[in-house]
Amino acid sequence: MTQVTFSDKIKRSWAITVKDMKIYYLRPPALMFGILFPVALFFTFTVGRNLSPDRLIPVLSAQTVFWSASTIGPVAIPMERRLRTFERFLSAPISLISVLWGKMMAGFIFGAGITTIATVIGILWGNQTVSDPVALVLGIGLSSMVYSAMGILFASIPTGSPGEVIVPLNFVRIPLMFVSGMFIPVESMPAAGQIVAALSPLTHTIGLLNLGTGSPSVFGFAANIGALLVWLLVFLYVGQLFHKIIMRRE
Amino acid sequence: MTEIKAIEAKGLTKYYGDFLAVDHISFEVEQGEIFGFLGPNGAGKSTTIRMLTGISTPTEGTAKIMGFDILKHSVEAKSVMGIVPDISNIYTELSAWENLIFTGKLYGVSKDIREKKAEELLQLFDLYDRRDDKTVEFSRGMRRRVCIAMALISDSKVLYLDEPTSGLDVKSVRSIRKLIRELNEDGLTVFLTTHNIEEASQMCDRIAIINRGRIAEIDTPERIRTAMKSTQAVEIAFKEQKKGTRELLENLSSVTEVQKRGDKLRLITNDSAQTLRQILQVIDENGLVPISLNTLGASMEDAFLWLTGAEMESEIIHRRNRRK
Repeated sequence: MTQVTFSDKIKRSWAITVKDMKIYYLRPPALMFGILFPVALFFTFTVGRNLSPDRLIPVLSAQTVFWSASTIGPVAIPMERRLRTFERFLSAPISLISVLWGKMMAGFIFGAGITTIATVIGILWGNQTVSDPVALVLGIGLSSMVYSAMGILFASIPTGSPGEVIVPLNFVRIPLMFVSGMFIPVESMPAAGQIVAALSPLTHTIGLLNLGTGSPSVFGFAANIGALLVWLLVFLYVGQLFHKIIMRRE
Repeated sequence: MTEIKAIEAKGLTKYYGDFLAVDHISFEVEQGEIFGFLGPNGAGKSTTIRMLTGISTPTEGTAKIMGFDILKHSVEAKSVMGIVPDISNIYTELSAWENLIFTGKLYGVSKDIREKKAEELLQLFDLYDRRDDKTVEFSRGMRRRVCIAMALISDSKVLYLDEPTSGLDVKSVRSIRKLIRELNEDGLTVFLTTHNIEEASQMCDRIAIINRGRIAEIDTPERIRTAMKSTQAVEIAFKEQKKGTRELLENLSSVTEVQKRGDKLRLITNDSAQTLRQILQVIDENGLVPISLNTLGASMEDAFLWLTGAEMESEIIHRRNRRK
């Protein structure tokens, strides 16, 4: 019997990613919550506030990466449960973690891709200088991984309807926007608010994007990266744990 | 040295909450066998297949596929099996070709082999001309064939087929049965779940009958049928059925039950010779005109109904309470 190597696992995960990209990127819920919703929210909260480009671009990019990356998992997995195509992965010679990794990569590419386009448009339109490209790239890339993993975690809800995953996910996503320094700067928040902000992954996304466009990050580069990495591990671990629990029940 | 069993289930059990869906079932399937798993709706067939394929985790018990434990060595066990579930769970947004290629990638089949095999399978299943069409446009029979082809793209040693012909037209049913036989002749072990008794009887080397989560019988179709001596029958049709004829036949001492089957009456008996003598006497005495008279052995359907109907209702309560 041929041993399944790490490289084999990556290839099989990638096959899932490519398949998800083909099938789910243009699905109405993905377009609605991945593109339209963040753009609409951005305009809702910024039009008429006369904010400078260095303040606007991090908000635009953070909104986009936050919503788009966390949408693909909650669209794809419930649909696959309904059509029972998710069972194909469970009966295939591939571990659950490899399946979830493949799905997470589909969300990551969707989120990172759309956010990159939005950010480039924002930078060109605002004639903004990128002062820290590493922070900007990590702000988009790492955040995209984190929010994609968050979407996969919520997609463990055993349902065949994407709406039944997206609604509870929105109960988390919408409040997070208001405690993460997106509309109210963290420095202006009361002490309790600042503690909550420090715990929110979105605060650290904005921190990195701020650094990228020349504004300061409240918690600093290292803390932003560290917090996002911790959240990534938490979402991945809890996500696969929940999926395993659901599998045992089914 | 004994040959490794294609499938070896030991004490497989599945609870859903307090409900016992599969109750400590054990069986073995030899390599190269077509093994039928027969049972009424809700008997536990699909739950068993889900446990054997790693989709569902057993509450208790183990299963080995070609010697690999489905829980401890799941990747190895899954590498040697192909699965056709009760519904054709193909990706309708993808073409037939893309479905096969994706499955090949998922099973780690190299590019050259998966492309060659996909081409062969699409030709074998008469889908090659439609290979680039999205499968959403396919008929139910065509989707079923794509689903079976996907199960065969890897080097499967064991093929699970869950109700493979359910809901298909006669032509598709025949072509799928023929294909299963051909695959089996090439050495593939087939595990077939069905509630179609005739399908199981015609295709399987051995049959397990499952009822209420337990194996009621495992044997060859012929031995199961012939073991049913208690359900022999005599079938009679009259030129004109007079009023009271059925009652006359019901009163015969050797007859246990009379069933109306179209224009015929079927007399269930333990002793068909004695029943024949008694019928002839009734015909003479009452001036009846028979147009056909046949003795019938037990059919697989009779055996199935007898085996699945024999358990008492109290069994359900017993199973629900057992875990408490």
